[in-house]
Amino acid sequence: MNFDMRKIVLILSLLAFINARSQNRPLLYNVDDLPQALMQNPGARIDFTRHFGVPFLSQIHFFVGSSGVTAFDVFSDENPNVNQRVREVMKNISSGDFFSVNQQLEILSFGWKVKSRGYFSAGIYQELDVFAYFPKDPAILAFEGNTGYIGQDFDFSDVNFAGEVLTVYHAGYNYKVDRQLTVGGRFKLYSGIFNAESTSNEGTFRTIETPGGPNFYRHEVDGLNVRVNTSGYASLSEEEGMTVDQAVAELLSRSFFGQNVGLGVDLGFHYRVTDQFSINGSIQDLGLMFHQKDVENYNYFGSFQTNGLEPLFPELDNNESTIPYWDVFEERLDLNLQQKTTNEVYSTWRPIKFNASFQFGTGKSILPCDYLISKKPRFMNLFGMLISGVNRSKGPTYGVTAYWDRKLNDNLRFRVAYGVDEYTLTKVGFMASSRFKNFNLYMAVNDIIGYTNLAKANSASLQLGMQFIFKDL
Amino acid sequence: MKNKIVTPFRPLKILLIGFLLSLAFSSCFADVDFGQSENITLEPDLEVDLLYYKLNELDFLDSETNEYSSTIRDTVRLEFLDDDYIQDGLVYAAFRFRHENRFPYLINTNIRFLSASGRSQFNITYTIPEGTLTSPAIVDTVHVMQGNDINKVRRSIQVVVEHEIVGADKAIQGELDLQSKGLFKFEF
Repeated sequence: MNFDMRKIVLILSLLAFINARSQNRPLLYNVDDLPQALMQNPGARIDFTRHFGVPFLSQIHFFVGSSGVTAFDVFSDENPNVNQRVREVMKNISSGDFFSVNQQLEILSFGWKVKSRGYFSAGIYQELDVFAYFPKDPAILAFEGNTGYIGQDFDFSDVNFAGEVLTVYHAGYNYKVDRQLTVGGRFKLYSGIFNAESTSNEGTFRTIETPGGPNFYRHEVDGLNVRVNTSGYASLSEEEGMTVDQAVAELLSRSFFGQNVGLGVDLGFHYRVTDQFSINGSIQDLGLMFHQKDVENYNYFGSFQTNGLEPLFPELDNNESTIPYWDVFEERLDLNLQQKTTNEVYSTWRPIKFNASFQFGTGKSILPCDYLISKKPRFMNLFGMLISGVNRSKGPTYGVTAYWDRKLNDNLRFRVAYGVDEYTLTKVGFMASSRFKNFNLYMAVNDIIGYTNLAKANSASLQLGMQFIFKDL
Repeated sequence: MKNKIVTPFRPLKILLIGFLLSLAFSSCFADVDFGQSENITLEPDLEVDLLYYKLNELDFLDSETNEYSSTIRDTVRLEFLDDDYIQDGLVYAAFRFRHENRFPYLINTNIRFLSASGRSQFNITYTIPEGTLTSPAIVDTVHVMQGNDINKVRRSIQVVVEHEIVGADKAIQGELDLQSKGLFKFEF
């Protein structure tokens, strides 16, 4: 590595650590003998010629994370006062903290080499993605009330969540432009099973003291505008007496052809700057979901303020009833704070993911002595750094991971990774991939330290799968 | 660059996969008791304005005959107290009534909380001393209901406010103000 290249690496490393926060899935990125690398970067360099995944088992991915709280923080068995801990947790975490669950199940996965430079891959996978920011102000209002917060705003914009279940049909093409550059793209057809999102809410509630005013306080709801969009939910809620099991069965029955569709693309490249040094990047799920069927929107909007009820002490005959103050109050409330359910179509961006990495190889392998083999030299050790992120409603979440990827031989490799992100500063990951003839088995576990006691972990993720991979020479 | 020799790694292969599988399947939740989730309670303390008014001498005179009446009263339904969710969770209530009296007479005050059928559940009575237009008499009363008494609040749905001016006649002049609020503590 010459001086300029060291400078580039240094600068990239510094940038990576400055942005060191995140949510990422780095253990399968750039693993050139796994088809799953193509799902993260359709322009990745690969070294296989055909693959076929074991249906439903070629990739099982599960991730759960919480940026501000662990199960131990709430349910610790050291102190029986769970409510006190809940309050402490609520004080410590902010409305920027979030909870996230992501699950993917590859149903079908296959691909083959096309002529000398191309590789076609396609498949189907099911995905569940839930991302919710902590609704701090509404939670404090519910848990503690307004008594300790006179004069302070409770902000409804803290309500910010999105969740979806969908099936993705995809087909991609990977093309080696020349010995240095590989590019790729993947077209995705989304089939929406369920969606619920509420991400652009406004409004505040406050109680303020009013010295010199008509009463002690004035309660105000100012500029309330809360909207919850759903698709695939209304038909479930309309079914009277539907149990949870029945609802799940109904959702599963929509797995292959959901009612709402969307389109998206993945794009990526890999560029070998030198034999040893390469850079690459990708974006995933640049796409939109169009929610047009089984749509229901719940809208809450308006402004209102009150000092309480004002009795007027009217002159009444014996049989006359007094003024219905409460009814008048309720009418005024209903007029000013409205709730409306609509069936307006809406669109949602899929959470765009982006990756950028560089990789440096050492330890050139010795290939079998056969003049028919046209394979390029490979490196047994790969050192890389990956910056990855996911765009969410309050902005992207970032993570950075440094890894050492070791190929022990043509059939066995492992990767050790260290990452930092918004969940933890000590994310140690490990991946192993092995081939038994053409049968491949891989498994990746991230945040190993957390796995020793999941209750104290801010996040945990797991990917495993099995498939047939052919490396015909 | 040092070249590497490719060798079989079957034992290591099994070891690595075994390590990952054992890690994934031996991971556990320790030092936690999820049974505590049943004990999580919402305990909001809510302060809300209740009644307010500003009375003057006209409120004690008949608008048609100008006849003086020493006692006036009004009834206000507090429907929010009739809600099942509120009633089940209510454990404490403190009612605060603050009067400013600018009438130069004593005023007997009786605030009664009634059930839906009109049966009295509890009442708060006090006498407001006489005041002047420039120097009002102030009475600030806090009435706390808790323990078994909270059931009386749970059964209440309307409040009757009654004022009796002592010793005045149709020539009275002055004002009587009320500010009031409730502190309600809940356990859900």
